[in-house]
Amino acid sequence: MLLLAFMGPGIVAANAGNDAGGIATYASAGAEYGYRTLFAMVLVTVALVVVQEMCARLGAYTGEGLGALIREQFSIRVTAFALLALVVANVGLVVSEFAGIAAALELLHVSRFVSIPIAAVAIWVLVVFGTYKYAERLFLLLSLVFFAYPISALLSHPDLAQAGAQLVYPHFLLTKDFLLLVVALIGTTITPYMQFYVAAAVADRGIGPADYPREKLDTIAGSIFCNVISIFIIIATAAAIKVRGPLESAKQAAQALTPVAGRFATQLFAIGLLGASALAAAIVPLSTAYAISEASGVERSVSKSFRQAPLFLGLFTGQVFIGAAIALIPGNLIALLVQAQILNGLITPILLSYVLVLANRRGLLGDAANGRVFRVVATISVVAVAVLSLTVLVQFVIGLW
Amino acid sequence: MATHDSPSMVSAMRSRYEQRGERLTALRHVRNALVSLAGLIGRPVLDQANGEIGTVVDVVARWDGDRAYPPVTGVVVRVGRRRAWLPIEAVEEFRHGLIRLRTARVDLREFVRRHGEVELARDVVDHQLVDIDGVRVVRASDLYLARVADVVRLVGVDVGFGSILRRLGPARLRSRPTPEKVIDWASITSFGSQHGPSGTLQAAESGLRRLRPGELADLLEDLGRAERRELLAALPPDQAADALEEMQQGELVRLLRESDTVDAARLLSRMEPDEAADGLRELGTDEQETLLAAMPVEARQRLATLLGYGERTAGGVMTTLLVVATAAEPVALVRERLRANRAHDEDLAGVVVVDDDGRLLDDLTMTELFLADVDITVHELIGPPWPVTVTPQAKPAQIAHRLVESRHGSVVVVDDEQRPLGRILADDVLDALMPERGRLPFPRRRRS
Repeated sequence: MLLLAFMGPGIVAANAGNDAGGIATYASAGAEYGYRTLFAMVLVTVALVVVQEMCARLGAYTGEGLGALIREQFSIRVTAFALLALVVANVGLVVSEFAGIAAALELLHVSRFVSIPIAAVAIWVLVVFGTYKYAERLFLLLSLVFFAYPISALLSHPDLAQAGAQLVYPHFLLTKDFLLLVVALIGTTITPYMQFYVAAAVADRGIGPADYPREKLDTIAGSIFCNVISIFIIIATAAAIKVRGPLESAKQAAQALTPVAGRFATQLFAIGLLGASALAAAIVPLSTAYAISEASGVERSVSKSFRQAPLFLGLFTGQVFIGAAIALIPGNLIALLVQAQILNGLITPILLSYVLVLANRRGLLGDAANGRVFRVVATISVVAVAVLSLTVLVQFVIGLW
Repeated sequence: MATHDSPSMVSAMRSRYEQRGERLTALRHVRNALVSLAGLIGRPVLDQANGEIGTVVDVVARWDGDRAYPPVTGVVVRVGRRRAWLPIEAVEEFRHGLIRLRTARVDLREFVRRHGEVELARDVVDHQLVDIDGVRVVRASDLYLARVADVVRLVGVDVGFGSILRRLGPARLRSRPTPEKVIDWASITSFGSQHGPSGTLQAAESGLRRLRPGELADLLEDLGRAERRELLAALPPDQAADALEEMQQGELVRLLRESDTVDAARLLSRMEPDEAADGLRELGTDEQETLLAAMPVEARQRLATLLGYGERTAGGVMTTLLVVATAAEPVALVRERLRANRAHDEDLAGVVVVDDDGRLLDDLTMTELFLADVDITVHELIGPPWPVTVTPQAKPAQIAHRLVESRHGSVVVVDDEQRPLGRILADDVLDALMPERGRLPFPRRRRS
């Protein structure tokens, strides 16, 4: 916990990427393609660093969240489109968090038709009645279990030569499933929700231009650190699951922790997944509600009653219960988790475009606006993500016929 | 700290409404003639013969000091690919979704913003404003203009969600005003352009001055950085310092971090020393030193001493505000001194009596002073009950114990040589003993 107190917003935000959807997606990547997604992860890391840095810079130099900035800098319709995209992406995330809770508790033999409704009501009560802070610490503590992955990855004698080669050797598989998975990897790593989070967190801590160099380091280090963990999750799963194929259950994913936990791997995995999912199941809908309230001008809303802040609490409630309801639909939970990340991956380039335009604007950031070189790198990152998403979208539409 | 529903707050608001003179949006003929700004943007500008010469890009108003309703000075019109300037004098008709010119031909010059002018659609709509009557920060979803005594003025702001929806719809519907939540411009403080050349705060200044410190603190917490800086700069320094004392710890730290060192140091040195020290404690050592170095010597020494004590000790929670008397002084003089400190009445629980070396002799309660004859000296009041003292290092539990033991309402903090340093009231001890009651951890911590 002491460690967490010292973490800057950059590290915290990036680590939020390792939530239920993240674990499921990285584990799927390892199970299905072994080490072959590692090079894609290197590219994703570069893009994540670029994006998170822009968001942190926007927060530091303007002192405002992305919601307010978009409202002030774009026309009302363009703003509404951005916020709608954010809501859709985040509802998808909430679904995946509840699916994560269900998957974790199914490992402990609790039916999802029991666990999801109870979790939804519990999270709602905790947040609305204001005792969430203590629950949050517990969840955070539980989710630290995932730091066992790097150890597990090293203990499992992975094929380091092959992993290393895959990290640096540029390649892609041009199959539909591989592209889908890459979009899911993007969606879970460069989540729209994280961009809003990091800008708001930086602004709220009063980090200004003077403190920004340190914050910049924190953001970059956090993004890289987080993706190193993600890469270890892929390696650990690839080493543990020998038969290549889509991940079928959370139990299979839990095998990756066997080198550390032995026969308690399942339980350890369940605890970590529960913590990470429960944490995000509250924070994601809160951050959506916050961004929208901020943009519509009812800023003072976080600790008010329903009557005083209907928009804020209505948005929060709606997301929690709609998310929980969708997660209840019978089906493969791991597949649902990955699908939610694909949805995020499709929406990510939309919001990235806003971030890019804002960070390019000299009228807003003055000399802190993107320089020429940075602008090229950032534009390439955003365009690459957009092209991938579009490809997957086009394939999907063609597949409908 | 400001409780919005307390009776005193309600009566304060009521009196504020009564003090306000005529409110333009309350007049029926103005209400009927409201023109929605959002409804004008993108709509045609017609000449006398109904020929279209361009479309409205923005409406420009002049922020001028004390006048409550800014006059419109002109319209920015897109003619072909140019942004041309149309002075308001050339406009004959100014109504819903339509601007018609007075003359057949106009001299279209390039638009150049003059000092004090604000482009309403670009700089005000969708930006933060302060509603002084409602004591809240709002975001403008539309602005209303009206012709009042032959001058087109900005008269109101719409903050309703309905107006946002109306603006999302087709352009034809946008011109219809939906004044469901209109705030009269007389009660608005606007920040004009944040990033442009003429960043001038347009404030109903007298309105700002009527706000209580707790209310100002709430507003400052809700504003964006640029707006907060402008609002702080517009306040008299003492009022700003009072507001800072009422701010939540985390918000105060944020404000100190983002302000210029000189401004932050000036505000801190005007705050109550214990509140200022609490804020400084949250900052890093480097930041503390930079701020202290920028303060006047006296304030620096006072704060440095306070910072030397631990946060959760008597030295950390005490108020350094003491009314001191010597034994030889007449009671009347002491009462006079108390009266001079009336502004701090919440922190005054008694008067400490010291000898010539500054050592504590007694702690007189208000009751003792009140019941005493005016013409006696302090000397005659010295006697039991004797003062309850603690050292600056005492822990809250120890202080609470001393208070319970003695049944006093406050204790005096003294140094090793019995010289009084400050006072701790029973409620300060309560604050120190109660665990922090937080609420939502993301993304802004709010007091419950």
